[in-house]
Amino acid sequence: MIVLDKVDKVFPGSTIPAVNQISFQIDEGNICVFVGPSGCGKTTILRMINRLVEPTGGEIYIKGKKVSDKEVNPDELRREIGYVIQQIGLMPHRTVEQNVALVPRLLKWPEEKISLRVKELLETVGLDAEEVSRKYPYQLSGGMMQRVGVARALAADPPIMLMDEPFGAVDPIVRGRLQDEFLRLQKALKKTICFVTHDINEAIKMGDHIVIMNKGELVQHGTPMEILCNPANYFVKDLIGTDREIKLLELTKSEELVTRTKNIPEQIIEKDSFILAIDPVQRALEIMMKKNSDLVGVRDGAEMIGTISWEDIKKHINMISGDN
Amino acid sequence: MDFEMDRFMIALLDRSPPHALEHLQLVLIPVVVAFIIAFTAAVLLTRERYVKYTDRVMTVFNIGQTIPPLAVIAVFFPFLGLGREPALFALTIYALLPIARNTLAGLKGVPGDVKDAARGMGMTEWEMLFKVEIPLSMPVVMAGIKISVVLTSGTAALGALVGGGGMGAVIFAGIDFFRAELIVAGTLIIGVIAITLDRLLTLIDDMLTPPHMKA
Amino acid sequence: MTPLSLALALFWFSNFYDEYLGFIQFIIRRWDRVIEYTFNHFSLVLTVMFFSLILWISVGLIISRYEKLASTAFGIGNILFVIPSISLFGIFITIPMLGLGRTSAALALILYAMMPMIRNVYRGIKSVEWPILDAARGMGMSAKQILFQIQIPIAWPIIFAGIRVTVVMITGIATVATFIGERNLGRFIHHGIARESADMIIAGAVIVSVIAILLDFVLGKIEYKITSPGLRRV
Repeated sequence: MIVLDKVDKVFPGSTIPAVNQISFQIDEGNICVFVGPSGCGKTTILRMINRLVEPTGGEIYIKGKKVSDKEVNPDELRREIGYVIQQIGLMPHRTVEQNVALVPRLLKWPEEKISLRVKELLETVGLDAEEVSRKYPYQLSGGMMQRVGVARALAADPPIMLMDEPFGAVDPIVRGRLQDEFLRLQKALKKTICFVTHDINEAIKMGDHIVIMNKGELVQHGTPMEILCNPANYFVKDLIGTDREIKLLELTKSEELVTRTKNIPEQIIEKDSFILAIDPVQRALEIMMKKNSDLVGVRDGAEMIGTISWEDIKKHINMISGDN
Repeated sequence: MDFEMDRFMIALLDRSPPHALEHLQLVLIPVVVAFIIAFTAAVLLTRERYVKYTDRVMTVFNIGQTIPPLAVIAVFFPFLGLGREPALFALTIYALLPIARNTLAGLKGVPGDVKDAARGMGMTEWEMLFKVEIPLSMPVVMAGIKISVVLTSGTAALGALVGGGGMGAVIFAGIDFFRAELIVAGTLIIGVIAITLDRLLTLIDDMLTPPHMKA
Repeated sequence: MTPLSLALALFWFSNFYDEYLGFIQFIIRRWDRVIEYTFNHFSLVLTVMFFSLILWISVGLIISRYEKLASTAFGIGNILFVIPSISLFGIFITIPMLGLGRTSAALALILYAMMPMIRNVYRGIKSVEWPILDAARGMGMSAKQILFQIQIPIAWPIIFAGIRVTVVMITGIATVATFIGERNLGRFIHHGIARESADMIIAGAVIVSVIAILLDFVLGKIEYKITSPGLRRV
């Protein structure tokens, strides 16, 4: 869906590339999360996809079409890509309704269609359309503003969404809720999403695919599981290790996460993917990787006591990260 | 423009200096007196007893600023007659508003928690005023004085109308006789006075402003 | 109230009226002049505002886009502001093409309008926060759409505040144009001083002040009205 081919960006007045020879691809319907410390180039990559920043080298393709093609008008390109940023950037002089309707109006949709769409979207992101559509941004809470920001980006139903720390400005509890809701929404919408964050926990939770960056270089990319199990180098280890929650996977016993059941699925027995109840959860991840499945069985001695799934582990990471 | 350099030099060097001195007085005396009055009034108005009136007084000041300068200069003439003193009086009234407005805004703008902290450390009302409120409001107060100086040095040119002398005498003579040399010379000196005073105030401001508040 | 004190009060008031409120009689007596001068006053102010709005809003928009020009423009504005109004009028009348009259008065006043106008346009445009512009760009608004749908509407209350200050200021300074031949409200003050007529001076000063205050008040109300409720944070 989105392909980056040796993309470079050197900002004027700087000799060090902000983004250096990055190539990879994002599949349709996936959430790809860029994660890394500030200044690593993750936001620059995002902004190059909708040409808010022009690359100095390489090519970006969307659905096989060159983004930098002379025939592509950047404004029209952007109208077909949803864009959400941490500071949201709601238009303060316009009501919630007008904010959400911004892109449809740019695209000159008929007004009846717009008003239906706005109502539908506000409900989709969990807002009471009746209540909020006439309000101005300053009358909303941080969480509500983020929801409006997401609704606005979804308004014209763009196949691609770019989200730069979209939940970064709200407190951890609201953030967790917004993440959950967004994942639920994504299941139905199946957008292709580029998501930027500096929070590895958020990356693991949201991402189908994670791209770890440092100083403009791509350090590692892969599924969350691959990254958790096989960190490519010390930088990645450090990134996941500095987060107490993930380190805790080594300290949590599998028995704490196990879903107790007598019915162990066939595939587990076939592949012999078992761990012991006293093994750390980290071990479950390793087995999942090795056997290429997202479910492992748990044994207490010889007795099979239940299973642990990748979902369970993600939930667990989330739960402990919500604690701090 | 009918402009002769010789005439201009005569206007600037022979005719203007005595008026320049008068003009300087027409600026300095009103601004200093206005500062003393406005500052005292603003300090009183921000004390707890009177603080409830500050908004209303502020509104009056804001309205006062819309009154045209010529009206301010002229309106006292019928009561006080011609001369230097009436001109000084009118200019003082005129200089008062920007200073009062800014001083009031400055003192009001001192954050409540800073005052609370100061009170919590056991400062008396006086100590608080001199060690906390006045220093912290200094930049805004100085800005008000600067505005006042620039406005007053221009308006003082109208002081000549009511017999106050100053550079206005030279400028009005230039208008009456269509002599650009006189007008330009007079304007130049007023400009020098205004800019010099502004620079001086900037220097004082630099010395008085607490280091952390400097840009 | 006893009849005596009432009589005393009446006496005091009639004295007060004779001495200080004579200007009311003057206004009534010279009503035709008041109308004429007020009309002239406003036609000058309107002319000046018409050109100032076109010129200075454009300049303000240009300098908010080209940062390098901004400091030059503000420098010029500041110098103009230091020049006393009477000098600016005076300098214009000595230019042969212009001479005494309306053109000189209008030109001087337009120059005076520069500073408050461009400062507020600049400040208004700069008050639009970066994320708002970034989001607007990211959603595919063109530069023109951003200027007209985002930047100007958000800056509008600040720009209008500048217009309000300018109108009030120009109304005030226009009185000084009487010294270069304008027949406006300043003339009451000008001639009042020459003839040492207190009533005339006070009449002029009061009329002009009341007009300035009223203008400020009315424009303030309009300013509030046209501000988007979303920008009206108290």
